[in-house]
Amino acid sequence: MLDFLDICERAETGPLMTERDFEMKMLIPGLREVVREYGIDYDKTVPVPADDDLADRVYEAAVDFLARVGVYCQDTNRVIEFTEQEILETVTAAPGECFTGEGKDASVFRVRQVDSSIPARCHVNWGTVHASREMAIDIMSANVSHPEAKGISISAVNKTVRGRQVTAGSPLEMYAGIRAIKTARDALQRAGRPGLPMMNLVPAAATAVTTIGASGPQFGARPTDGWIIGIISENKLDYGAMNKVAYLLNWGANVGAQGAPSLGGYAGGPAGTSVVNTAYFLLGLVGMKADYHLCFPIHFRHGCCSTRDVLWVVATSSQAGSRNVPIPVIWLGYMAAGVNTKMYFYEAAAYLLTACTSGADAVKMPTPAKGVKMDASTPMETKFGIEVVKAAAKLNRSEANVIVKKLLEMYESDIPNAPVGDRYQDCYDVETAKPGEAYLRLYDEAKSELSAIGIPFE
Amino acid sequence: MERDDIFQSLEDAIIEGDTVKATETAKSAVESGIDPLDAVENGMAKGMEVVGERFECGDAYLPELMMAGDAFKAAMEILKPELLRQKKATKEVGTVLLASVKGDLHSIGKNILANVLETHGFTVIDAGVDNSALQIIEEAQKSSAQAIGLSALMTTTMPAQREVIEALKELGLREQYRVIVGGGPVTQEWADEIEADGYGQNAVQAVELLKQLVA
Repeated sequence: MLDFLDICERAETGPLMTERDFEMKMLIPGLREVVREYGIDYDKTVPVPADDDLADRVYEAAVDFLARVGVYCQDTNRVIEFTEQEILETVTAAPGECFTGEGKDASVFRVRQVDSSIPARCHVNWGTVHASREMAIDIMSANVSHPEAKGISISAVNKTVRGRQVTAGSPLEMYAGIRAIKTARDALQRAGRPGLPMMNLVPAAATAVTTIGASGPQFGARPTDGWIIGIISENKLDYGAMNKVAYLLNWGANVGAQGAPSLGGYAGGPAGTSVVNTAYFLLGLVGMKADYHLCFPIHFRHGCCSTRDVLWVVATSSQAGSRNVPIPVIWLGYMAAGVNTKMYFYEAAAYLLTACTSGADAVKMPTPAKGVKMDASTPMETKFGIEVVKAAAKLNRSEANVIVKKLLEMYESDIPNAPVGDRYQDCYDVETAKPGEAYLRLYDEAKSELSAIGIPFE
Repeated sequence: MERDDIFQSLEDAIIEGDTVKATETAKSAVESGIDPLDAVENGMAKGMEVVGERFECGDAYLPELMMAGDAFKAAMEILKPELLRQKKATKEVGTVLLASVKGDLHSIGKNILANVLETHGFTVIDAGVDNSALQIIEEAQKSSAQAIGLSALMTTTMPAQREVIEALKELGLREQYRVIVGGGPVTQEWADEIEADGYGQNAVQAVELLKQLVA
């Protein structure tokens, strides 16, 4: 079976070609061919298909696609190729679980089945930037206080170091990366969950040197945490990503491959995006030696994951992976609307019902306001997300499909002009870290509406 | 092939992203003595327009744009010598330099914009990813661009957009270029704060903005 040094070797010896040729002669035609050959068709009337045969064809197309196209190394301008046999051997040998966290918070993160009555693993908090360390600690500790929380994405703190804006690759980025880990560890201790795994290390680090430098155990990171290493859109890696993998493998730490295919980008429409997203589960296993995966197929124009076509991609690729690829996956959804808006709750419910009934192993609580607004997240979204995850375990895909269609009617047309919503300090009492009356009222109203359309809340 | 059939075939070749057909039909156009400018405007440009419209409606995606662009370039390879020989020029809409800023390795948003701009007749110079302020300015000067589009997909790379604008000011070049910014975390407020000339939330908006600023 391939090891990571084999991958490094192929990055230096694979076929030489320009990036443009890789895109135009390999990636785009290769993807179009498999979509056609395996008969992958998007049906906008069924956002959550319950079609096992379709799911398996998406998987088979993904294996074929990765074997035909490979992955492009931007630093060497060479294609790292895999045979179908190598891919399938890796899939067969994959354990389907990884070990995360320490002490009382240690847990096994394992794969889950389609239509499972076991709730998906809840992954809380966001990589959102917060204005102050204290605020970040309050929000993170509130989010992990739910016993259902089995992992956390830690927040970034402020965008500045001693008044200077943090820029990618600068020494200030190193300071900011270290600060983020130390702050999160403090938040976890305050909440009484010091061993909970931080699964998005290192937030706001654009460069490998910051990720690796800030991950030193002296700053609080542990091998039972998890590092997400991004695949570059689409089917590309660089030495920055590969250096992170090499470091983590040498340390024995959890490697998380991150795939975020852009619907409308190189992958084309929903069918191609579903195949690419599934191929990324395979690429994580075979090319990056990943222990887990984090993914967020995202709409190229709206920058969110709650559009009808992206939900179909989530459903079909999650089902394809759940039925065929034994790697635990965290599903992350960016919502168009922000905090303290009903639209956020509609979108988040649609996303979570789609992912959970389609076999998502873990779901991250959906990110408000596309994750781009400072302080735009609160513990209320976590509370809501956990309630929907539990409700989703009582539904199957067909039942979820009916509800998701109703939800889409409630928000779909508002996506281009979605309300950006509030910040934490606008709808929470910052001193007591409690939600304001208005937000509590809105939450209750939204939940009543969602119960009325069939979401079986406890 | 009749004149109108050649125009139609060129239009279809662009829409289908068929470089072979585009090349062959462009050769037929030259052999038939068709005005090369007519071939561009009544055939190829119409095809680009159709692909651009489909993209804006959500009926086409980046691959269709890229393939159309390649087919357009393939036909132009044949027609260009004729255009030069006959001293005819295609309609110049404007030249835009696109770049992902220092530290940012993301290219997909920039590449989508590049392709949409081409369907609208712009000349696009793509500086690629991870460009320092001075590299971007040097490219802009070399290419005689009227506008610079700066892409940043991370909060930590957004400040590099400001650096480009500040460097243009320091070098006394700010008035020469219209500068627009875009990328996931970028907002109109950020564009205002760093004194950019505009913000494009997506490729379609950015094209409209550049049409106002440059065309």
